[in-house]
Amino acid sequence: MQVYSVPKSIKENSTFTFCPGCDHGVAIKLVAEVLDELNLRENAIAIASSGCSVLLYDFLDVDCIEAPHGRACAVATGVKRAHRALKNDKFVFTYQGDGDFASIGLAESMHSALRGENITAICINNTNYGMTGGQLGPTTVMGQVTATSPLGRNRQYHGFPIKTAEHIALCEGVSFCSRVALYNVKNIINAKAQIKKAFEYQQQGLGFSFVEILSTCPTNWKLSPSEAHKKIEEEISKIYPLGIFKDIKND
Amino acid sequence: MSEKQLLKGNIAIAKAALECGCSCYFGYPITPQTEIGEYLSLEMQKRNLAYVCAESEIAAINMALGAASSGAKVMTSSSSCAVALMQEGLSYACSDELPIVLVNVMRAGPGQGYIYPSQGDYNQSTIGGGNGDYQTIVLSPCNVQEVVEMTYKSFYMAQKYRNPVILLVDGLLGQMAEPVNFINNPYEEIDNSSWRLDGAKGRPSREIHSLEPEQNKLNQHILKLSEKYRYIEQNEQDFEEYLCDDADIILTAFGTMARVAKAVCNHFREQGLKYGVFRPKTLYPFPYKRLRELSIKAKLFIDIEMNLGQMLRDIRLGVLSNAQVSFVGKPVGDWLKKEEIISAIENIAKECHASL
Repeated sequence: MQVYSVPKSIKENSTFTFCPGCDHGVAIKLVAEVLDELNLRENAIAIASSGCSVLLYDFLDVDCIEAPHGRACAVATGVKRAHRALKNDKFVFTYQGDGDFASIGLAESMHSALRGENITAICINNTNYGMTGGQLGPTTVMGQVTATSPLGRNRQYHGFPIKTAEHIALCEGVSFCSRVALYNVKNIINAKAQIKKAFEYQQQGLGFSFVEILSTCPTNWKLSPSEAHKKIEEEISKIYPLGIFKDIKND
Repeated sequence: MSEKQLLKGNIAIAKAALECGCSCYFGYPITPQTEIGEYLSLEMQKRNLAYVCAESEIAAINMALGAASSGAKVMTSSSSCAVALMQEGLSYACSDELPIVLVNVMRAGPGQGYIYPSQGDYNQSTIGGGNGDYQTIVLSPCNVQEVVEMTYKSFYMAQKYRNPVILLVDGLLGQMAEPVNFINNPYEEIDNSSWRLDGAKGRPSREIHSLEPEQNKLNQHILKLSEKYRYIEQNEQDFEEYLCDDADIILTAFGTMARVAKAVCNHFREQGLKYGVFRPKTLYPFPYKRLRELSIKAKLFIDIEMNLGQMLRDIRLGVLSNAQVSFVGKPVGDWLKKEEIISAIENIAKECHASL
């Protein structure tokens, strides 16, 4: 018999402070479950970032440092390399939004991937800058109305969004790269499996592993939680297809 | 290690860093400090230490931030316009109370400027360009021997105060070779086991962050940092004085410019004029206390800098109101020569000389 309980890697009595229907809570819980299952909690160092993902350390019961906006992969590089220099091997992962990872921090993210830093990056893609009230970000899809694209994202005026996982998969230092979603149980189970794989690849020293998670932002999308999940299923995951873009064990 | 070696300032910094246990270096090339990274690239790899050719100075300072949180001794180095890119990271490191040694081997600005020597980063270092109430410790060496000693001291102060330390080096000094004696690192090791992030094993998890949504807590945090800065100001002011005890006129200068100032001082002493030289070795904390004492007797202070008068503000703040303060300087290029300074001073101090 399986009894459900809060993962050990989640702080006692912590309550998620995300908006109702936001997928951040689900994503953090999956990360915590995988940390538990791989027995990583006591050896892990998490890197929080700026945006809605910043409060990671309020929920995760692991050592955590907050990076300046966009610099999580650089901070993670420093943490990982320093512990190696001190003859320790720590499990190091970042938890970032798409603006953090793929806009302001694209250089740090991509160069960490290119160097094959043995770290894992989790990127929550909700197609806008959530914390500041839903502005156009690097992943805002064509036609999407945001606080700073009131007439919709337009090719001539705003240019194109980035397909983050596809770009990261091109970097030679990457061991594993996938995009997942959380709009139903099947996808949540799959997302957890991918996060686990990404973490295991780091444990095996295979290089940079990456999971992009398509997530809802009901408040800024001005949709109900179920409508927001439907939007991911029917629209967003068509533009940003789910799947594994690189797996060095299979490629 | 006690034999004298002829070393360029930049190489001396790199060797001294290894000597005091620096295990992580992150950097991006920029003249005139590139030899630091070049030297360390091989030496650190040989020792299985951390060396990353960062994609930018922004990445470098953030790698340093992460490495420092692990309890490692960390250094990055750069120059002027690229140190400008690190200001955000310095503000974070101050708020996070992380020990980072940042070596700035200065070039000329503003903007890209050029690789000509200059002392144009006094303000950038002592005031800073990051956000919020924060303060970096700033050390200023005047010769290659002192470069070594102050590199040791930078690591020690960074660990002791859990704060970034800037070693502010004239481009001239980075590129200049002088005999240097590698004395043993005189400083004790600082225990960081109470705060470093090395995994929550057998203890509660730790967080290092500057974000604080609760207003009262944020105020308390900033006031706590401020108390640390006041303590540093009370206890760490350091300076060198040359013939200041009976001086009527005191030349003030930092870094290598102080060496020229001494020659100028000797020239006027030979004429029977009581000149002295006051050189701050800590630019932050600035040695206001001793400067104020000296201004009880000295009537005139002449500040000499390779910029348009950045330390001048601190000299004016430091001296008593009866003392007069003048300035000799130029922004970039060939170091001011003894003769140029003497001729400028003869104009400035004509009345003062006559009255002595």
